[in-house]
Amino acid sequence: MTAAEESTGRRVAAFPERDPAVGTRAARSRLPVSVVALSAAVGVLLVAVADTAGRLGHGGAPWADRAYWLGQLLILAPVAARLLSRRVLAAAETVTLVVVLTLAEYLVKVCFSPAAFTYADELMHWRTATDIAQTGRLFTPNDLLPISPYYPGLEEVTTALASVTGLSLFTSGLIVAGLAHLLFVCILFVLFRLVSGSHRVAGVALLLYSSESLFGSFDSMFVYQTLALPFFGLAMLATYRLATLREAGHRAGWFTVAVLSAAATVVTHHVTSFLLVATLEVITLGALLTRDRRLAAWASVLALVSAAAFGAWIVLAAPSTVGYLQPVIDGSLQGLRALLTGGHSPAPPPVSAANGPLENQALSAAAVLLMSVLVPVGWWHAWHRYRHQPWVAALAIGAVSWYVIVAVRLFVDDGGELAGRASTFVFVPAGFIAALAVIRLTDNSLRWPVIRADVRRRAPMVIAIAVIVALVLVLNGLVNGWPPYWERLPGPYQVAGAERSVGPEQVASANWVLAILGPGNRFATDEGDLPVLGSYGDQDTVGDDGYLYTSPALTPAAAQQVQDQSIEYVLVDLRLSTMLPASGQYFPVDPNAGRYTRPLPRAGLAKFNQVPGVARIYDSGNIIIYDLQGSAYYGP
Amino acid sequence: MGRSRAMGQADVAATALVAVAACAAVAGGAPAPVTIVLGIALFAAPGYLLGQLLLGSRTIGLERVVVMAALALAVPILGGLLLYAIRVPLHRPGWLGLLAGVTLAADTALFLRRRHSGVAPVTWRATWKAPRWHAVAFAAAILLAACGVGLASAGVTRQPQPGFTELWLSPQRQYAHILNLGVRNDQGRTTSYRVVLLRDGRTAATWNFTLGDGQIWQRPVPPAGQGILAAALYRLPDVTHPYRFVSTGTPRTTGP
Repeated sequence: MTAAEESTGRRVAAFPERDPAVGTRAARSRLPVSVVALSAAVGVLLVAVADTAGRLGHGGAPWADRAYWLGQLLILAPVAARLLSRRVLAAAETVTLVVVLTLAEYLVKVCFSPAAFTYADELMHWRTATDIAQTGRLFTPNDLLPISPYYPGLEEVTTALASVTGLSLFTSGLIVAGLAHLLFVCILFVLFRLVSGSHRVAGVALLLYSSESLFGSFDSMFVYQTLALPFFGLAMLATYRLATLREAGHRAGWFTVAVLSAAATVVTHHVTSFLLVATLEVITLGALLTRDRRLAAWASVLALVSAAAFGAWIVLAAPSTVGYLQPVIDGSLQGLRALLTGGHSPAPPPVSAANGPLENQALSAAAVLLMSVLVPVGWWHAWHRYRHQPWVAALAIGAVSWYVIVAVRLFVDDGGELAGRASTFVFVPAGFIAALAVIRLTDNSLRWPVIRADVRRRAPMVIAIAVIVALVLVLNGLVNGWPPYWERLPGPYQVAGAERSVGPEQVASANWVLAILGPGNRFATDEGDLPVLGSYGDQDTVGDDGYLYTSPALTPAAAQQVQDQSIEYVLVDLRLSTMLPASGQYFPVDPNAGRYTRPLPRAGLAKFNQVPGVARIYDSGNIIIYDLQGSAYYGP
Repeated sequence: MGRSRAMGQADVAATALVAVAACAAVAGGAPAPVTIVLGIALFAAPGYLLGQLLLGSRTIGLERVVVMAALALAVPILGGLLLYAIRVPLHRPGWLGLLAGVTLAADTALFLRRRHSGVAPVTWRATWKAPRWHAVAFAAAILLAACGVGLASAGVTRQPQPGFTELWLSPQRQYAHILNLGVRNDQGRTTSYRVVLLRDGRTAATWNFTLGDGQIWQRPVPPAGQGILAAALYRLPDVTHPYRFVSTGTPRTTGP
């Protein structure tokens, strides 16, 4: 019994842990965790080779692609094999495997853009951090992501670290994001281990959690959610401890930790704050169902504290939160309502680039099917073994959300984006419940007469199947996650190519705009240039501006729309007339997304040269900037 | 007894020393590696101390580490708000003051608590000890992963990028009454240019110059009033095809 369990005075029903101290030589694995770590490091190196090949112009070569996936397999397969193996695994070894997996995938993300932030969301937060570092003040406007300055937790930590160490904001941001990501994973591990009483369950649950499509990208990016997640997890851990500790003195300490975690979550990210309250309510429900009054009381109290803190923050500091989240909530509710009432939700446009190649879609379908099968098996096992355990009850209730996001993805307009974002939270309970299923199925299989007769010979086959299932799930997360297939490797410029649209010429033009024109001008721009212009350039960019680029001449309707949108400048990237958009859309709001068969006509981009009063103020070859103020766009 | 008590407060002394040394390193302009190491230690110190104050002796191992790390991250978040509220700029002195202040305050609280209650600092021993060759393998793994990141970083600097040159003719935000004509060379090598300034289509001025990579050439230009002001940039020796072109635009004679 661990010291922690002693203090709680209880021991949950659990999968029996095999004591490594009594592990015989035969029961020990021939694949030590240090070798797994070495394999993962070789995997990172191979991915870096593939990335470098992409940068040097060999991104299209099959060997570069194979090197990338071989690297990923070297990271994933040994970890999965070791976690699912029947061989003895100490708790510290399990933690090490989880840490190796998390760090290796984080380094893969770092290798993609090791010199500067290039992900659009990271650029948004980099802008806010830069503003804080330059002005020394919070809540400075950020036109690219106006809500970001009102949830400044990430940027505060980053600027603090940069200030006291002298490191750049980029390096500090990488450290903070990586630390926060690792911290969240470790907190989940601790919580899962406490809840299940088994580090094996916790390890497999984390392996399955890593299969969510944003694990290696959005959840470890320099974005506010990345830092809010560990506080979210810590609030859960504190709730667990408050309900199980007997000493009042220790409870006071954990209550302080819980309150600090809730406060830090609230200051860092809106959606995580909302989900913190919702999760504490689900835990209350689980506790009530299992008649654990102490947990129900503590979870309710902390839900109230969190809700009060979140409400106070919205009222006092971030009133724009409601307006920011309202459209997303309305859209989701509308889609769900249509789904539940048998109505029709408008189908999303056929964005082939978003859907990806057929094999990616097949892998996605297989992964959805596997998880959809594993969750009920996990429920069944939870009912049989953990029926009186309030936390497992709460996780089982939470795992229902897996089917909700599958439905949202299939039937709700723009549901893929929403389901993807939600998966960070949904996979916490779903991964745990699926882990119960994976371990139970693996163990039960070895009890089947046909296998039991010859366990020694057939056990590897059963474990291999479990490893393959885990790999299908995790690889699906990578294949259908971020970066997308059309920029798996870094490389030359692509039109509307997300990170591959961030190049020296874009950065130079954005820097010029900020230096000469100043911040906050209303700018029309395209999908690829928008994040750079909004972050490096600190400009107020317009997303719904495709009309300005596609019409061959100035029209009264276009002039009216320019006035309505108060557009002052237009950034024209002439490469829009030479390439199709990699992401499927030229503009952030693009009604023709996924339907382009040829690049935009040059005439639409060059017409500004002939419009009376339009000044051509900047020319870098590919990028031209026009000043529309006082031109024919603003009346005769 | 006295020696054991002194040993029991070693972490308090060490964190206090870190707080003072980090501030002194910044104030004294210490070399970057020293500032980085002390800065990271100062960043972590409040989390460690708050963990000692808040957690019982039975919270050990990974659980204790994650709580301390999270508390270390929470201090700048909540402390930064406090600084903002009392109008302290969030620059280096402010952050240093916050982290060092929290560290020293927590040091004092911990020192007094241990002195009064005689509680020893929480220590724990790892239950899993890997053989020595495992440590070598882990070290090799760290080295290989670092090589991977290094290779990727080198790839960024080696990535072939098409060179470009920026030409602009624009009012500057501070001096709206005067136009700023400028050229920036980002061709990746030294390049010679000619800029021809045109007023209503006629050459008003010509400049020939050479710029190293990253260098800028600028001139203030008075506006043309109702006329058209334009500038053509040539990349020498080609003086027939304009390489870049900017203009204040044709006068507005007709509307849309």
